[in-house]
Amino acid sequence: MRYIWTLAAKDLLQTRRDRMAALFTFILPTAFTVFFGLLMGGLSSGSERIPLAVADGDGGVAARKLVSLLESSPLVELKMIDAAAVDKAVDDEQVAAGLLIPAGFSASLDSDVGARLTVVRVLGSTGSQSVEEAVRAAADRLASERLAAAVAVRTVEDSPRAAQVGEIVSGLLERPALTIAAKESGSKAGQIPRGFDQSSPGMLVNWVMFSLLTVATGLVMERKTGALRRLLGTHASRSQVIAGKALAMLILTMLQQVLLIGLGQFAFGVDYLSDPPALLMTMVTLSALASCLGLLIATVFRSEQAVIATTVIASMVLSALGGAWFPLEVTGPGFSRIAHLVPTSWLLDALRGIVLKGWGVPEVLLPLGVVWAFSLAFFALAVWRFRFE
Amino acid sequence: MRFVEVRRLHKQFDPPKGTVAVDDLSFGIEQGEIYSLLGPNGAGKTTTISILSCLLRPTGGEATVAGASITGDPAAVKRALGVVPQELALYPDLTARENLAFWGKMYGLRGQQLDTRVDEVLALIDLSDRQKDRLESFSGGMKRRVNIGAALLHKPRVLFLDEPTVGIDPQSRRAILDGIKDLNRAGTTILYTTHYMEEAQELSNRIAIMDHGKMIAEGTHEELVRSVGEEATVTLSVDRDLDRSLAIWCSVEGVTSAEAQDDRARLLVGDANAVVPRLFETANREGIRITGVNVAEPNLETVFLALTGRALRD
Ligand SMILES: Nc1ncnc2c1ncn2[C@@H]1O[C@H](COP(=O)(O)OP(=O)(O)OP(=O)(O)O)[C@@H](O)[C@H]1O
Ligand SMILES: [Mg+2]
Repeated sequence: MRYIWTLAAKDLLQTRRDRMAALFTFILPTAFTVFFGLLMGGLSSGSERIPLAVADGDGGVAARKLVSLLESSPLVELKMIDAAAVDKAVDDEQVAAGLLIPAGFSASLDSDVGARLTVVRVLGSTGSQSVEEAVRAAADRLASERLAAAVAVRTVEDSPRAAQVGEIVSGLLERPALTIAAKESGSKAGQIPRGFDQSSPGMLVNWVMFSLLTVATGLVMERKTGALRRLLGTHASRSQVIAGKALAMLILTMLQQVLLIGLGQFAFGVDYLSDPPALLMTMVTLSALASCLGLLIATVFRSEQAVIATTVIASMVLSALGGAWFPLEVTGPGFSRIAHLVPTSWLLDALRGIVLKGWGVPEVLLPLGVVWAFSLAFFALAVWRFRFE
Repeated sequence: MRFVEVRRLHKQFDPPKGTVAVDDLSFGIEQGEIYSLLGPNGAGKTTTISILSCLLRPTGGEATVAGASITGDPAAVKRALGVVPQELALYPDLTARENLAFWGKMYGLRGQQLDTRVDEVLALIDLSDRQKDRLESFSGGMKRRVNIGAALLHKPRVLFLDEPTVGIDPQSRRAILDGIKDLNRAGTTILYTTHYMEEAQELSNRIAIMDHGKMIAEGTHEELVRSVGEEATVTLSVDRDLDRSLAIWCSVEGVTSAEAQDDRARLLVGDANAVVPRLFETANREGIRITGVNVAEPNLETVFLALTGRALRD
């Protein structure tokens, strides 16, 4: 183990000496995060709501309650219009979706018939999908309130205070603990990442992939000067030499991630720390992916130029396909399916899940597992083909 | 058994069709000896060293270093052995001290022991005052010295040096050769490869001449030179009539052979002191003008030429 550490420490010392390395590992990533962040909505993120047209053909108590529930949702911005104008507003893209509350809605909710709501939306649009979710959440709450009230009313039907029961129940249901919990999940689910929520994780993946360059070119230089071969004459074994290389890349990219994530969290307000264990797992997975790929590139290619060219192309393609430059949510399902052939998209799924959807360890297990499968395959290939001269 | 023992070593790259770099090579080195492998480019010197230091597997034969088999117990071989590779296998962006410390750690040295040993080696290669400078700022000779120093940290009992003086100035070469002699006096057994016959002659107790993977002669310098006879080589330049001059000189008393080489006459003679004046006499008589003359007593170059028909350096 101490030979592995000696090797890694030597690599890190060389990296520290290299001014270009600092540029590529920390300075450029920060600059790109700011640039892409501002480009994609930047600081106004979160305050932007999706426009929803509402036509209230009922006007009853329940209908008004539903409208006020929707108004308090941070996801949508309501526009009250006539039922006849809804289709046109959606077609003209003045709003992302329209909600029709039919006449008799309040009455049917109280009866046993069941109430009906209609959402008019553009097929396949993610924005209107989010709207639909918001409407469904509001309707669910309304329905459960009504249900609870109805149950309570029937149980105490003969009591003189029966008339007040409805109010008491909805009063109880307004308890803050419940409301806040509902808001959290409502505001994060299904949202398209914008601003720094998009650029910070994206650029993180992009530049961690890119910084395998420093260690990969180092490895090629070491092979060229004969130092790699000379290492075999020392007391370190072949596998220790390879492990030392991998460890150096792992430490370097972890350090890079700590800095970039810290920057994202504290300077750009990206919510990385919602679940630290899941975040740590994701960071280690990303570093391992970069290390294994770096090892593979340095194994397959002999010349420095070839390694540089391959690393640049690989990191760009992996980043772009993986959704580091633009969210996969804005692309069609076909593109997204192709994108999920590369490990970076799975990695970004996990990272965005943590940042935007409040994912924890159970949710990130699947995407990270897929990334590990890629990494282990790269590693096995690299060890198998590894040449010391 | 000798300290380094090589028996019928064979190495073919990419068999069955690849180059046979080492062909049925056998030799032995006594403890405390300096033994040189002398041969032109591609003779198989580096390949031999790589096999003996367990970096390459032989395709035939066996060898032991300090009593340990290179195939059976490579770890023991590596412990006893220091190898100075032909290339500068170092890190240019690290300082001399950092380079040495790194290689020392890779040989298992730590802490105070490592520091002391790095100081000793820096003094040995005469770079104590430049130890904090990065290697990329060093001259070729200084880098070569660090390259040697990196192999000495763990005090190896056997040292393999693969052409350690290639491409450096005479002063640095002098320092390196003297350093190697010092190491040897301190008890290190040395295997030295070179294609400079002067180095082999100056350093070695015994020399093996290699060509195309085979050993073509072995012995002390004197033994090798005597094996091709005591004849000296006289090379003469003439302004014209080279063929006629050769024909005339051929029959001068004391000349055993005469041939043209690069517009000059190359003669093998018994006693150069007696023969050279006669060559000038005949030239005067025949109206041939001699524009240059060179006398070379027999040396390893002559030996190689006699055995292969080629010059050592081409
Ligand atoms: N890895 C290899 N694969 C194939 N052939 C090789 C390899 N290494 C060396 N050779 C060949 O083996 C032969 C001997 O090479 P080697 O390097 O041992 O010679 P050398 O005596 O060290 O020469 P030099 O003085 O140039 O260093 C050469 O013909 C060379 O081309
Ligand atoms: Mg060689």
